[in-house]
Amino acid sequence: MPALIKATGVTMELTVTSVLTAVGLGIFLALARISKNPFLSKPATAYIFFFRGSPLLIQLYFVYYGLPLIFPALNISSKFLAAYIAFSLNIAAYLAEIIRAAIQSIDKGQMEAGRSLGLSYGQCMSLVVIPQSYRRMIPPVCNEFLMVLKDTSLVSIIALTDLTFQTKMIASNKASALVYIPSLAIYLVLTAIFTIIFNRLEKKFSEYE
Amino acid sequence: MSIIRTVDICKSFTTVEAVKNVSLSVDQGEVVAVIGPSGSGKSTFLRCINGLETITDGEIYIDEELFEKRVKGHPHVRMTKERRAEILIKTGMVFQRFNLFPHKTAKENIMLAPINVKKKKEQEAAAQAEELLVRVGLADKFDEYPARLSGGQQQRVAIARALAMEPEIMLFDEPTSALDPELVEDVLRVMIGLAKSGMTMLVVTHEMGFAREAADRVVFMADGEIGEVGPPEEFFTNPRNPRAQQFMKSILHQ
Ligand SMILES: Nc1ncnc2c1ncn2[C@@H]1O[C@H](COP(=O)(O)OP(=O)(O)OP(=O)(O)O)[C@@H](O)[C@H]1O
Ligand SMILES: [Mg+2]
Repeated sequence: MPALIKATGVTMELTVTSVLTAVGLGIFLALARISKNPFLSKPATAYIFFFRGSPLLIQLYFVYYGLPLIFPALNISSKFLAAYIAFSLNIAAYLAEIIRAAIQSIDKGQMEAGRSLGLSYGQCMSLVVIPQSYRRMIPPVCNEFLMVLKDTSLVSIIALTDLTFQTKMIASNKASALVYIPSLAIYLVLTAIFTIIFNRLEKKFSEYE
Repeated sequence: MSIIRTVDICKSFTTVEAVKNVSLSVDQGEVVAVIGPSGSGKSTFLRCINGLETITDGEIYIDEELFEKRVKGHPHVRMTKERRAEILIKTGMVFQRFNLFPHKTAKENIMLAPINVKKKKEQEAAAQAEELLVRVGLADKFDEYPARLSGGQQQRVAIARALAMEPEIMLFDEPTSALDPELVEDVLRVMIGLAKSGMTMLVVTHEMGFAREAADRVVFMADGEIGEVGPPEEFFTNPRNPRAQQFMKSILHQ
């Protein structure tokens, strides 16, 4: 049981840190993608295409085993770090599209009003448009978060001891095959907790309506 | 001295020429009403002056400084971003659909630009916002979000928000046409007060009462062109342009 709890910590830590990083990177990618400057929009589009168009599993392998072969200096010794990098980069591509849609759903009049008051494009985005888009981002980001929570089980392939990996190890001993039950329960409890957190966030961001 | 001067400006979209060779100057302290049928280019004209559209031909001067110039077949003369922003602050715009920032209270809506553009101190901006809200008759709505305000109240906050940047001219694009009839009066009263206080105003409106009472000149637009310009008394009693006569008739018959 203590081993399971420790592994749950790894799963949660990986999910939360990579989603948080991905939100930051995703906002940046979304802004680059809707920019009129092709030097920003083209690379962003390519990035999103690459990470959404290829399996996360291979991306993970690549970060852990492939990168050190090409750039020996980048030898990522920590499994957690490798998983964190691969997940953040991958999730950012998905979130970028969600964030872009949320930003573009804000009425054009908001940007026009901001510009007519003398605010720059960047100020209009950061002070007027993006804050209004948070509320619209939260449901899809929550969805993405819950998928990631379960997708983190992929890290067992680089032998990072997350909840799924630990469960399998314990279960390989026939006597404790019932470990699947607490393990499932832990996933469900995590899902429930984070659903509540996201619902709260959504309420908080719609207070003004 | 003219605050706004346009010289033969044109604006074409892919399929329509929305504004054709419009030359108009608005002097300091003058109130000019722009009227005309739907699609005649009134909004587009205002949006060009306010930098929301890029003209395709002509010149725009704000405060006798060149703001934008374009001659067909020649490179587009536009100021640097910084210069453009400096000149643009001299014009304040009020939109038909208010466009208040829904995530900010009435006071915060007004404070946003003074703090972030003019780098005013928060306290100073707050005091100014309160003063402006009192002036537009919303002394009890400082901390209300736009969703909790009526259309007429929202539009008055929007007027206060534009005034907070201390513009030299206020542009209004049909400020009362999205409002329920009983709310129109409150907004018009604020606008008339503003006109009486000496503010320079260019107002696109369907409110003939306002044009008669507050305007120094009426500009009639049709098909992207200025059809007639004159003092309201003269224009309303005896329009000369046939399109204007027709337009006045259609309004009287409503
Ligand atoms: N962004 C745009 N793209 C293409 N055409 C446009 C655009 N904006 C305006 N137009 C066209 O330009 C013409 C003038 O439109 P504008 O909105 O300036 O008229 P208006 O006089 O303000 O009309 P209304 O009284 O209905 O507000 C119309 O034919 C309109 O369809
Ligand atoms: Mg219009």
